[in-house]
Amino acid sequence: MTERTIHQRVLLAKVGLDGHDRGIKLVARGLRGAGFHVIYSGLWQSVDSVAQAAQDEDVDWLGVSILNGAHMTLVPALLETLRKRDLTHIGVIVGGIIPQDDQEKLKQLGARACFGPGTSIDSIVQFLSK
Amino acid sequence: MPLDVHRDDIPNLVQRMRRRDRSALSRLLTLASSGQQREALTAELPTQLKSTPPVIALTGGGGVGKSSLLGSLTTHFAERGERVGVLACDPESPVTGGALLGDRCRIASTATSDRVFVRSLSTVSGQQGVAQNIDLMLDVMKAFGFDRIFVETVGAGQGDVAIRQVADVVVLILQPQTGDELQWEKAGILEVADLVVVNKADLPGAAQTVADVKPQLGAADGQGVSVITTSVAKGEGIDGLCRAIERLAVSPRK
Amino acid sequence: MQKTTVSGVAIQPLYTVADLEGFDPEHELGLPGQFPFTRGIHESMYRGRLWTMRQFAGFGRPSDTNERFCFLLEQGQTGLSTAFDLPTLMGLDSDDPRSVGEVGRLGVAVDTIDDMLALFDDIDLNQASVSMTINAPAIVIMAFYVAAARQRGFDLKKLRGTIQNDILKEFHAQNEIVFPPEPSVRLVVDLIDFCTQHVPRWNPVSISGYHIREAGSTAAQELAFTLADGRHYVEQCLNRGMNIDAFSPRLSFFFNAHNDLFEEVAKYRAARALWAELMRDEYGAKSEASWKLRFHAQTAGCSLQAVQPEVNLVRVAYQALAAALGGCQSLHTNSMDETLALPSEHAVTLALRTQQVLAHETGVTNTIDPLGGSYFVENLTRQMKQETRDCFGEIAGQGGMIAAVENGYFRRRIADAAFAYQRAIDSEEKLLVGVNAFQQSDDPSISVMQIDAATESAQVESLRDIKRCRSSDAVLRSLDDVRRVADAGENVFPALLEAADHRVTVQECVDALAHALGRFRPAPGW
Repeated sequence: MTERTIHQRVLLAKVGLDGHDRGIKLVARGLRGAGFHVIYSGLWQSVDSVAQAAQDEDVDWLGVSILNGAHMTLVPALLETLRKRDLTHIGVIVGGIIPQDDQEKLKQLGARACFGPGTSIDSIVQFLSK
Repeated sequence: MPLDVHRDDIPNLVQRMRRRDRSALSRLLTLASSGQQREALTAELPTQLKSTPPVIALTGGGGVGKSSLLGSLTTHFAERGERVGVLACDPESPVTGGALLGDRCRIASTATSDRVFVRSLSTVSGQQGVAQNIDLMLDVMKAFGFDRIFVETVGAGQGDVAIRQVADVVVLILQPQTGDELQWEKAGILEVADLVVVNKADLPGAAQTVADVKPQLGAADGQGVSVITTSVAKGEGIDGLCRAIERLAVSPRK
Repeated sequence: MQKTTVSGVAIQPLYTVADLEGFDPEHELGLPGQFPFTRGIHESMYRGRLWTMRQFAGFGRPSDTNERFCFLLEQGQTGLSTAFDLPTLMGLDSDDPRSVGEVGRLGVAVDTIDDMLALFDDIDLNQASVSMTINAPAIVIMAFYVAAARQRGFDLKKLRGTIQNDILKEFHAQNEIVFPPEPSVRLVVDLIDFCTQHVPRWNPVSISGYHIREAGSTAAQELAFTLADGRHYVEQCLNRGMNIDAFSPRLSFFFNAHNDLFEEVAKYRAARALWAELMRDEYGAKSEASWKLRFHAQTAGCSLQAVQPEVNLVRVAYQALAAALGGCQSLHTNSMDETLALPSEHAVTLALRTQQVLAHETGVTNTIDPLGGSYFVENLTRQMKQETRDCFGEIAGQGGMIAAVENGYFRRRIADAAFAYQRAIDSEEKLLVGVNAFQQSDDPSISVMQIDAATESAQVESLRDIKRCRSSDAVLRSLDDVRRVADAGENVFPALLEAADHRVTVQECVDALAHALGRFRPAPGW
């Protein structure tokens, strides 16, 4: 008998040309510590490559780190792409420097949460563990 | 994870998957990996396939460059028009069961994404180092219609031996040794390897490592096992490695 | 209860002479301007000349940044510091699909020599000192700069400035990477070699710890990894047959100025002493200029908080103090609202005033190395030196720098340190004002720089024009040349200079180089 506990799968992705990955690596470790299976897309991803990875890896959550300020273009595009691929069951969370107004707008468009700088890793883990 | 009839309807998924529906493949791999509904899945999968793609396992210790090498290999075969499937394994934390699955970022690329499918999975620690239910996952992948399937193992030593059961070709990857310990001597891995690759051949110690490993090979059954050098950084030896893999896939040792 | 520095180093409640066993100030410290330069590289330090106040700038199209440059020069700034946009930093042109949304956003967009000429239009390059912060395609940008200067009739021998060109720290921390490790270093050396011969007053590399620290390393790691990188460049230059005293005097450094004041001061002092020893005793440099570690400092970007941003002013002031007490040669102070937005003019002015108050009102510049002789600081300096030496041993044990990079040694250390720090914050073992202590609910909202779509389309349009008008024959020929010399292992700089004149683009040059050198995708190295 080879049934096993299902661990939630999370894809963490860096979209755009920015290479700062300190934060995303900390989130990865925190999630691993809470039993998640964390898949990392690597740097320099596009909306399409992230969506493809999310589909191929059959993830439950998708966390995108957008540090170039273009979140209001990239996140809606990503949500739309996921919709087209019938992947709306995936919970999308966004990390970056996102003003409150933009956070509200993104949540209305379908993002589950936005996490700005200074967010504790624990709170992100708690959110995904709910 | 919410129970979604559509997403767990195995007959429907298998039908779609046989028609090269990648999202169905992805979903079936999850079901296969969990071991749930193993019988139902096995029942739906075809018992005979027109052609079975070779399963090539890449094994070796941490840091030898398995993922980078796999990135080069998959690109090579994809550029020749092949459909390539990859299962990339990383160890699970024995304490929390969580895992960091980072091989994908060196294997998957935008240039080849329509041809190359990468699935990351974890290996339960303390076990044989092979992901559970990998045999079932491979059955699913074979039914999808890949031309070639790669499995990247964790390199836990004992698990590398277990991979022999599911792979047609086992490739052991080494890197130039800087210390005296010949780390790959343990756990009988040399006996199961069909091919040995010394990667990062541009680094010092490569020639010595080749010289050290050659006498250890072929000791078990007398069949010659080749040693190839590669350097992903310099893009050297990849063609030779691909040719060797192809030869072995056609006439495997086992 | 145990107290530790920001980096987690245990600190005693009190330090006495007993903590400085065998202290020999004559050899351990020397006098300022004397080996091993612990107290400072110049005899008079700030009594003779203050550090340079050099603030970063760059945005939009070259003409936009040029306007800012001219303005700053008019205000009396003598040093210009150029920030490039992400596409340029990654060797991409403004019209590449991956550049969409990123052109001119976090720095200036440079695609061709035309952009370089516009960027420095009306500026006397034989007078102003120009700093350019770019790494993976640094050699291409430098070639464009030299070609532009040449076209304008400036004497190359009189060009003064710095180009960051420190690719190793990209592999450790910042990820602005195009080529694999070894070929990347080869390009660094090509640039150093060319400049040593033809642009002798230029600093061809700024060996950086700043970014390593920003990625989460400890202070000791910042120091150790930076000096290890410096050693590797020196060794590669020597392997090339270059004369150590010809290129070493122009090697420059760039460190972070973080929150823990005494730890930072110890770091800078240890840096000078270690480098001097390495250069004189290990590499046999004969000239004093070769032994002196010159460094630029920047206050820690990672310490800026998005909440209660005015508190950042205070942080920056203390960090600047550390840099001054540590004897930096030039300093950039961050603006309080600088998380990822272009700072407001008001904030930029305050950042400059921070340095001015420090320099003119606090008295710290009245004497050299004021913390020298402190039991605490001398003890910390010693610890830093020892940790760095241990690290050198570890790198050697890995098989050297390139092997250590490919093994992920640096990345893992940095990730571990970042993780330890984050745990300390999350558990409130370390407090961050406004973040996990003294929070305010009435925080003003953050502003983020808005992209001006017109900038991007104008730049793309102008690039398309250039591609239409230039001679495609000349372009193809010069790219062939670049590929040929890159393959042959020759110095690529002259071929790039040629290409620049024919209006070849940054991306075309990078692609030609990648043909021979390959491309690289980093592993996470968690």
